[in-house]
Amino acid sequence: MYRDLRSFLTKLEEEGQLVHITDEILPEPTIREIGRAACDLPNGPAVMIENIKGHPGKRVVLNVHGSWANHALMLGMDKTATVKEQFFNLLEKWDRYPGEVKYVGKPACQEVVIKDNINIDEMLPMFRINAYDAGCFFSKASVVTKDLFDPDSLETENVGTYRLQVQGKDIIGIQALPFHDIARHVTKAEEMNKPLPIAICLGVDPALTFMASTPINYDQSEYKYAAAINGIPCEIAKALTSNLDIPANAEYVIEGEIIPRQRFAEGPFGEFPGSYSGTRLQTRIKVKCITHRKDPIFENLFMGRPWTEIDYLLALNTCVPLYKQLKETMPEIVAVNAMYQHGLTAIVSTANRFGGYAKSVAFRLASTPHGISYCKNIILVGPDVDPFNLEQVMWSLSARVRPDKDVIVIPYTPGMPLDPTSEPPGMGGKFIIDATNPAPPDLILRETRLIDNPNSKGFEKIISDLQKKASVK
Amino acid sequence: MKCVRCLHDTAAKFAEAPDGSGAWEMYVCSRCNFTWRNTEEDEVINPEKRDPYFQLKGNIEDLQVLVPVPPLKKS
Ligand SMILES: [Zn+2]
Repeated sequence: MYRDLRSFLTKLEEEGQLVHITDEILPEPTIREIGRAACDLPNGPAVMIENIKGHPGKRVVLNVHGSWANHALMLGMDKTATVKEQFFNLLEKWDRYPGEVKYVGKPACQEVVIKDNINIDEMLPMFRINAYDAGCFFSKASVVTKDLFDPDSLETENVGTYRLQVQGKDIIGIQALPFHDIARHVTKAEEMNKPLPIAICLGVDPALTFMASTPINYDQSEYKYAAAINGIPCEIAKALTSNLDIPANAEYVIEGEIIPRQRFAEGPFGEFPGSYSGTRLQTRIKVKCITHRKDPIFENLFMGRPWTEIDYLLALNTCVPLYKQLKETMPEIVAVNAMYQHGLTAIVSTANRFGGYAKSVAFRLASTPHGISYCKNIILVGPDVDPFNLEQVMWSLSARVRPDKDVIVIPYTPGMPLDPTSEPPGMGGKFIIDATNPAPPDLILRETRLIDNPNSKGFEKIISDLQKKASVK
Repeated sequence: MKCVRCLHDTAAKFAEAPDGSGAWEMYVCSRCNFTWRNTEEDEVINPEKRDPYFQLKGNIEDLQVLVPVPPLKKS
């Protein structure tokens, strides 16, 4: 589908999902106001900002993934596809892994090469995303690192999204949390006191951005997943100052090295739970070279109190791996909605193999690699409930939960440090609500007869077509 | 120059509008790594008006280290 950001922007434009702001603006606070507005609108479009004071000719694009319409288009679906339809579509594409990668000589991302007098804030139209951020951050970069001891593997090469704070002309702070894949690479390099090459890739194809924020296994390749989703080979190339593989059609690539064995103040930063993180000592990157396409587009995202663009990037890609891991041993699972704050709240639709089974599903979810620290509130609903339809989930809670036997709290389990309720940071708990219908030998206290849904699909289409016609007039 | 966040005299200019218009300048504190643009809102760049919660008091070396430096390995 999309070999780069530009081909996706063209598609968004054709579908009425890209708008341009051409009035002259100052980076702060206007860009954050635009980012907030774009994702608050129903089916909010991507926004290209084309006239930034002091940066003639430079462009910023926001909200590229920031609505279900844009998300559906990324998957090659109709922009009206429901979230559940997008979930099942993504599941199919997931099974095409591994897709192909293709090495490209003279990649577009290296059309312009800058090695001297680097000054990031003068070269890119950076902006402070939230008022109390410690500086300007890259919030949507695809960051590439390798295991120094496994330099030829695409599988252990990592492409991840980490927040990056510009801290000087050619200095960037990076937050790599201990459970992030990149932390393994950093630790191995630091044990040897060696700098770790790193490439910060900005403005890549939408599926790669999506995969960079997906919790896949350490030994799986984000490039091959992006290829599986796009249905075309992922074009990569060699970086100029290292052996790293980079997306050939990125808008910008910032190459540098993580300085070993030193820590510097970084943060705070408005984070995905909708609150600020703290100021911590973190690792730092020294930039060696910046390359970019001709007339580059700087893609970044606004993140604020949910929902904002980041929530779309942490939505179905959190659901799918969890679904796959549960389904392996529990075929009764129908769908997993773990879209809320990267899975801090998750809703699983499952049949009960026997009495109490749904609670076992919750334990399984709570012991998946991602679920251990993230999945805090776990809601189980029956196979007849669409977990992406919150009205149905609420009905299920209202009509199927008996608090004395269906609600469980497990204290003092691992937690997600960025969750403001995780105290001390890293500790948490599990809250399980079983809203499935009981199965024997569980007690079925009162028999209920559900109202059957009439066969309405035919009329849905007729009425929706009539509605479209009515709105054209 | 004084840092608007940690109030130490450790800040300096590091960037300016690349079109030479003088539209803005940017500063960085070498101690706490706070950066700011001179055209930002008062609540962000005026120490008197900043939310005290976001000011940085205390020593840098006392900040939490999220990924500790591992012991050196002999190669
Ligand atoms: Zn300071």
